[in-house]
Amino acid sequence: MEERLERATRSPKPDDLTTVITSLEPDQLSTAKAQYQCPRRRLTTMEVVLFWSLRIYLIFMVGVVVFQIWENVH
Amino acid sequence: MSERTTTVRNETKSQPDLTKGGTSSVGDVVITHEDIDRAHDRERVWNTRQHPGLGSRLRLLWLLIGPGVLVMLGENDGPSMLSYAATGARFGIGFFLPFVVLTFLLACIVQEMTVRLGAATHRGHAELIFDRFGPFWGWFSMIDLALGNFLTLVTEFIAVRAGLGFFGIPPAIAVLGALLVLFVALMTHRYWTWERITLGAAAFNLLFVPVALLTGPHWESIGRALLLWRPLPGGITGDMVLILLANIGATVTPWMLFFQQSAIADKGLTTRDIRYGRFDTVLGAALATLAALATMVATAPLFTRHMSAANFEAAEFAQALLPIVGHWGAALFALGIFEAGMVAAVTISISSAYAFGEVARRPHSLNLPFRQGKSFYLVLLLEAGAAGALVLIPGIPLVYIVLVVNVIAVLAMPPALLFLYMLVNDREIMGDLVSPWWANALTLAVVFVLISAGVLFGVSVIAPNVLAGIGGR
Repeated sequence: MEERLERATRSPKPDDLTTVITSLEPDQLSTAKAQYQCPRRRLTTMEVVLFWSLRIYLIFMVGVVVFQIWENVH
Repeated sequence: MSERTTTVRNETKSQPDLTKGGTSSVGDVVITHEDIDRAHDRERVWNTRQHPGLGSRLRLLWLLIGPGVLVMLGENDGPSMLSYAATGARFGIGFFLPFVVLTFLLACIVQEMTVRLGAATHRGHAELIFDRFGPFWGWFSMIDLALGNFLTLVTEFIAVRAGLGFFGIPPAIAVLGALLVLFVALMTHRYWTWERITLGAAAFNLLFVPVALLTGPHWESIGRALLLWRPLPGGITGDMVLILLANIGATVTPWMLFFQQSAIADKGLTTRDIRYGRFDTVLGAALATLAALATMVATAPLFTRHMSAANFEAAEFAQALLPIVGHWGAALFALGIFEAGMVAAVTISISSAYAFGEVARRPHSLNLPFRQGKSFYLVLLLEAGAAGALVLIPGIPLVYIVLVVNVIAVLAMPPALLFLYMLVNDREIMGDLVSPWWANALTLAVVFVLISAGVLFGVSVIAPNVLAGIGGR
């Protein structure tokens, strides 16, 4: 809360407040975004398998890159 | 006021309410400096929309373009332009001109999804990944981004050093000068001003076009290359696979997803602006393609001279082009390399800072004064400073870093695309803006191409003899 107040503009002009209210959508306000998070979604088994497969692919391929650098250096 | 408020509320009807359960009116939340700046930008968009006619549409376009052009021209960065230069010099234009056009089409497909995500949720990419998939997967994604961004930033400073090296500027002065430019661009404390300044700087990416024209290009060969897509000279070799990956990595990389979505949220685009966001992305891709093709055409005359990208410090390409395009042409080429590194250093460090702010729940906006966005600006400047310092270490293998960075970018894309694919098909946050089936099919095709390229690279390193079996040398 303190941080939010610190971020609050010290002396907003009435015109500025009107502009904010009329021009921004409610979920565009920075404090609204900071306060409310999107709810966590539940991953299906298939999605978890996909995540892990691509993670393993990436780790393996980075290993290949490191191997190539090592080979070229030597 | 009430009429305008009604209009705004009507615009938001079809989109998901992410503040559900929270404030029902603006009056319940604290108004920040960031909100006021963004609201003024949105007010100009709203005012412009009230006037019909072509002039008004063009003004609207001027107000709404930015993230798409910046992300595409930002990705035409130092290593990308050096990769294109190496491609033209080593393989000519027959295969790679249409290949690069294809890679930018892939980039358009991917980046369009970030436009919809940013406009529909008003949130950055890192924030959505953390919120929807949890910190476990979120941190994996952040590690990929942080590592990739830092390595890429190093290559941007290599480009800055190489470009200014042509004019005899010592590396330390070049790097310090680039950091100073970065600092000055941020001191505007205003997204709109920063965006316009950076767009102006990014336009210099097109410096490669006059250089290409100075080489006296053979238009018939260029037309034939684009229409007929000739096979590779020499078949599939380890070198060619590396260049192939470097070219893909020059157009589609994870930082682009994070940057464009966060920039769209920071700019304040809404669902009503998606059409313009798409145009912004396609315009950026078209300009970036033009600059990329021009770079390859410019260095194609070196094709028969077996040039390599082995000496970046001496701005080898610009010097090699001297006898062909003259001093001014070579100077433009070197300046183009400097610009590519400089603009990308700005956009990439900002993408890191956005992601850090979103994950750490710290203020993250270019509309913030330094005092209110200390962590945002410090992450940005510290990352750039560390990358710049690394380039100055004597004896560091700059060439390997440049090549490896683009390769890593390609390898890191499939996991990043899976997050994007799932988010953009998430009806809970996207509402009716979820991807249609054909967009999903195209995204899966992009993932297939990227994984295939990665596997081909793996084979070329682990079992190079296998390449001979599939038509290489």
